[in-house]
Amino acid sequence: MISRRNYFTITIMMFVIFFLCMFINNLKDTWNDYSVNAYAEDASGCPSQVNLYMPGSFEGVHRSQNPGTKENEEEETEMVPRRKVVYIGAPDGVFADMVYEWAVYTKGDIARYTALSSFQEAEEETGPAELLVIDPAGVRWEQEEELRFLADCVEQGIHLVFCRLPEVSVIENSEQARNLLGIRNIAEAETRVEGLHLYGGFLLGGEMVYHALEEEDQKYQDLELTFPWYRLEAGVKVYMKGIPEDESVKPESYPAVIWRKSFGTAYVFAVNGGYMEGITGMGILSAMSADMYSYELYPVVNAQSMVFAGYPVLADENREVMEKYYSRSVKQLFQETLWPGIMTTLQDQDIGLTCMLAPQYDYQDDNAPDSEQLKYYLKIFNEQSVETGLYGFDKSDIFGMWKFKEDQAFIREALGSYRFSSLYAGDAEDEAITEALEEDGMASVKTVVTAFDENRQDVVGFLSEQVTRQRITADGLNYSFRGDFLARSMETALGYLNISFDMSRVAYPETEEDLWEKLALDFAKTAGAYEEDFQGFSGTTASECDARIRRFLQLDYAYGRTGDRIRLETNDTGGAVWFILRTHHEAVKEMEGGSFRQLEEDAYLIQVEDRDVMITLEPSEKRYYY
Amino acid sequence: MSMTMLTVIRIIWILAAYLGVTLLLPWIFLHKRFAVIGSVSARFMAYFMAGNFYIMNLVFLLQLLHISCRLTLVIGTLAPFAAAAFQYRAFVIPALNRALERTRLVAGGEIGRKTLILKLHGKLRRLSSGTIGKWMSGHWTDLVLTSGILFLVFYMYGTNALNVYGYCASDTVVHHYWLNEMMRGNIFADGVYPFGMHCILYYLDVACKIPGFVLFRLFGIVQTLMIHLMLLAFLRALCKSKYAPYAGLVVYLLTDRLYQYTYYRYYATLPQEFGMLFILPAVYFAIAFLKEKDFMLTEKKKRLCSPAARLYLILFAVSVSMTLAVHFYGTIVTGLFCVGIGVGFCFRCFRWRYFKRLMAAGIAGICIAVLPMAAAYATGTPLQPSLNWGMSLLSAGSTETAPAENAEEQSSAGSVESPGEGASAGSAESSGEDLSAAAVKSAAKSSPAASVQKERQVKSEGLALRMKQFYHTALNELDYYVVNHDARVPRLLLGGIGLLFFLGILWCILRKPEYGAVLVSTAVFMLLLTVLQSADALGLPQVIEVSRHAVYYAYGSVLLLSFCLDAVLFLLFQGNRLMNLGSLGALAAVCVATGLTGIRVPARLTAYETNGAMVCLENIIRENRDGGTWTICSANDERWMVDEYAHGYHYEMITFLRQMENQEGFASIAIPSSNVYFFIEKIPGLYVDYLNTEKAERQVSEEGAREPLSQWPGIVPYIGDARWVTMSHMYYWAQEFKRLYPNEMEVYYENDEFVCYRVRQNEYSLYNFAVDYGDAGGAQAD
Repeated sequence: MISRRNYFTITIMMFVIFFLCMFINNLKDTWNDYSVNAYAEDASGCPSQVNLYMPGSFEGVHRSQNPGTKENEEEETEMVPRRKVVYIGAPDGVFADMVYEWAVYTKGDIARYTALSSFQEAEEETGPAELLVIDPAGVRWEQEEELRFLADCVEQGIHLVFCRLPEVSVIENSEQARNLLGIRNIAEAETRVEGLHLYGGFLLGGEMVYHALEEEDQKYQDLELTFPWYRLEAGVKVYMKGIPEDESVKPESYPAVIWRKSFGTAYVFAVNGGYMEGITGMGILSAMSADMYSYELYPVVNAQSMVFAGYPVLADENREVMEKYYSRSVKQLFQETLWPGIMTTLQDQDIGLTCMLAPQYDYQDDNAPDSEQLKYYLKIFNEQSVETGLYGFDKSDIFGMWKFKEDQAFIREALGSYRFSSLYAGDAEDEAITEALEEDGMASVKTVVTAFDENRQDVVGFLSEQVTRQRITADGLNYSFRGDFLARSMETALGYLNISFDMSRVAYPETEEDLWEKLALDFAKTAGAYEEDFQGFSGTTASECDARIRRFLQLDYAYGRTGDRIRLETNDTGGAVWFILRTHHEAVKEMEGGSFRQLEEDAYLIQVEDRDVMITLEPSEKRYYY
Repeated sequence: MSMTMLTVIRIIWILAAYLGVTLLLPWIFLHKRFAVIGSVSARFMAYFMAGNFYIMNLVFLLQLLHISCRLTLVIGTLAPFAAAAFQYRAFVIPALNRALERTRLVAGGEIGRKTLILKLHGKLRRLSSGTIGKWMSGHWTDLVLTSGILFLVFYMYGTNALNVYGYCASDTVVHHYWLNEMMRGNIFADGVYPFGMHCILYYLDVACKIPGFVLFRLFGIVQTLMIHLMLLAFLRALCKSKYAPYAGLVVYLLTDRLYQYTYYRYYATLPQEFGMLFILPAVYFAIAFLKEKDFMLTEKKKRLCSPAARLYLILFAVSVSMTLAVHFYGTIVTGLFCVGIGVGFCFRCFRWRYFKRLMAAGIAGICIAVLPMAAAYATGTPLQPSLNWGMSLLSAGSTETAPAENAEEQSSAGSVESPGEGASAGSAESSGEDLSAAAVKSAAKSSPAASVQKERQVKSEGLALRMKQFYHTALNELDYYVVNHDARVPRLLLGGIGLLFFLGILWCILRKPEYGAVLVSTAVFMLLLTVLQSADALGLPQVIEVSRHAVYYAYGSVLLLSFCLDAVLFLLFQGNRLMNLGSLGALAAVCVATGLTGIRVPARLTAYETNGAMVCLENIIRENRDGGTWTICSANDERWMVDEYAHGYHYEMITFLRQMENQEGFASIAIPSSNVYFFIEKIPGLYVDYLNTEKAERQVSEEGAREPLSQWPGIVPYIGDARWVTMSHMYYWAQEFKRLYPNEMEVYYENDEFVCYRVRQNEYSLYNFAVDYGDAGGAQAD
């Protein structure tokens, strides 16, 4: 028997607990201001295209903008001259835009010459360059004078980067070329390898072996695996090697893909194959640059974004197919299966999530989007700090203004007004996007997420004067080794990762490969691939990334080192900017004017808050016994 | 952490481990059985002998059975305790139950912490005011004086270890090689040799996890400490006065009248000195047995030895066995003392019941020592060349004067090279010990051999003349090998022998025959040592290398001094109450006299490698303990120091340079480990005997790098000028490699005389270390 007093106490306690739970949930619901986009800001106050850094704006030389302002700065730090990059190659060549964009992003100066001879002639006027990035087509390899000139450049301390190598016959016949490139002899004019081994300390993300050992992993192998096999000289450092099919070959004899020959005065970097084509070249250039000097400091965006394109869909579409495969509607599938799965996969990751809302895919059927469903998603997105953007395509992948009109009408009806600040435009033409952004209700959009384009090197930039573009760098539902290499390259060059997941494939599966149970594996693999390797960077939604891109593009800086202290000055970008500091056996001890975080050994992410920053270094290791 | 602090911690660690297994465990196990042994000093020697003997033979057994590892060693160590527990299970099991019950009560909270602490405190208080307190009250002066002796030993022999981190004897590295081979289950790697010390070191290394190179660096201090404690215990057990033993030790530790070579070997971990630990206990137990007058008891109609006498005989056998198991020089010296005992105790020793037992015990001891070596020899292991030499000398009665150890060293030098390519500094035997005291001192003093030979030619007719000739020869030899810059001291030593003999006879006459016999025995022993010291000059076989013999002589002189002092004090005070006071006064007088005649300062020896190299080695081992392979390219003893580590490798510097020089066309040197360290001496050492006073001053230079590399085999490229050339080559190679790989090659450690470079590499993408480093280098990169 229970006493009355106990009965009364238990009842009161149950009531209190019940009240507290309900009260908290009710409060959360009441205070959830889901109808207002927390990421929507007026773009007019942000840095725009007019603030964009352009090469040469510092007239070729970095100068301390504010020398000796630190009170305790006894001696003025000598600033490092602005990097002068010379590109030798055709303006429409595969490397031209990449090198230009890299120079812009690293705030260097760049000069471009179609041929080495043109540079040779112009050198007296322009002065010596710091780095020559050479498309082999720009060099007349049969001309000994040109090779001698390149050797002279190395002697003078100018680093050379060969974006790819000349034909094997050229190398075979020219001892000068072999000496320059650090090639001892040719083992095979062409060899096919099984995979590639990227060594640690070059690209960010550490060591990586692109070798599909299991049958099911063969689908990931899409790297260029056929190239000449050169034997290298002494004084060479190899960054990436091929893994030959012949297992009897010793690792030290594996065919080299990317290497460096040291001449003591300067380095000659060589890339055997087309790995520098496209935006991957930017990361390779940054990695090479980090190896040229005792330390290297360059700006990055610092944004890790994940975009769910066409998620969620609010209309009950494609019911028959959905019932067949999932025994539920697309709304239920997205809400009850996909969302919990996504959140579980991403729960420990620091990556910003943006869901590009598609009220409906099929605008021809009678299934109207559900406004309650919209509110539900906006609420949970708001709770989880997920940004809601707008998806720009319909079922037929047509990007059109009519769609936005219908979408805006629905949203106005459901919520009154909702300002989207990001738009997913996939591979739509720039003109179409610009036109769409002029539509009623689209003026709030300040950033557009576009698809990865092999032919475009402007990974981040301005689409129009006020609207930025951020390109996708990895397809989350199609993991591949090439994609992985590209992602590492982008992280190295820009600290930027933008993974997209096209969820319309789930709503409208074309084959069984499009079923979520299979796509979920790819999603998990992609999400997990970068989880540990790039933990140091910040997760951002599309709008947060936009703000960082604007500041990054506006940024200019100067830096120099005295002893163990690096002084960094930046222009005013209206907020924090980020740099990567790469050292050799040195660690950041302390920092004034910002904060730092270690990305990996000898690589640090520097967050700059003030315009004048002082970074103090120390040896990365101290001997325990002395 | 500073290396000084690390060294101190490690000395404490080694001391605790060694004394734990050789004193504490035997005390726990044997204290009831050894209760029959009279004095504390004698029991101290007994426990120490028992512990060493057990550990030594346990390792021998496990090694010969090829089952030696940490587990078997620990099991072997605890086996006697387990056996005892089983035998006394009727007591042990209830005791265990009580302990478990107490633990349960404590763990269950039934006995609180405060109660537990209170109980423990009470027990400790009872113990401190009881057994320990009573014992302490009678021995506090001994404790103070012994502490003083310990302090002096640490001060004299420990300070060098705090300042000099390398090995201080060239043959250490050979013993290190043998120890490393024991790790692989390959005992007698270089042939059958007395491995007693190696067994102890192996035990400490494997069972107590003390690295081999640390043991070879620092075990010498522990060993020296124990040598002095054994001396003290021996004297305390036999002297009549309380403080006379300390007087001898004070003089031995402080006086500057002894030639440096008589104590320089204490700075290293060497078998000869380790063997000295067992000489005096063997002598003591023989004397103790001979002091037993009526040791035959009748029990159940059988006549048996008394427990004490039996124990003395066993311990005598054990001690004798260990002298031989460690170093046969120790056995020779023990044998000489036994001859002295034969003379001193002639009235008892040659009685059949004593003689047969002593002989049986001695032979048993020798058999025990020989057994493992004989087993190895029978299974096909040849004798170590130095042993061959010793045996041939004994069998042929040869008058060869070549130092025994030289033969050992020369053979070792060859064998050390055998396991790997190229030379090793470890094989520096021929250079190290060949330049022994005799060689070094010859520069300072003219050798007496010539004059002695001349004197020998003069045919003397009378005994008096012969005695005079011997006297002068002995004076010369002692002056040359034992004494430092004072011609009076040899006379005092010889006079002391005579005085001791006289006092011994006197005490025999005064009806203290056992005490007198001890004095006579010591006097005869010292006389024999004197003869042996002068053997070469007298035309007798030189059984012990003369400069090493001086170590024993100086050690014996402590006995001489202490016994003389003791006998005189005993004569003056006749054992009355004032005797202790008198001996304390005598001790004070001896201290003052030592101070007035000159106190030596602790030596700082030139090690065979730089301190920087040792600091680097310690750091490298520490940093790589979690895995990852590493290689040290050096010209020093690191070859054997890293051998113990599974992921550590060594690359001979001369091999490295020659490979670059000798490869035609494209040169390629890849070192397949994650970290590669290059040890380069900016001021190359000389790598010669530690008695050498010449300090290395010449820096590496281009001039040196232009000189051709030495093409001599062995360690010649690492000695003297050749080392300077080798290091110069290496230094300029490093400069060139750093020019080509400025970010990859880092300075790991640097001081004025030494620099260590580190190259970290991916094991799948190795650097080619063969770079053309200029005119001097032979490598061609293209």
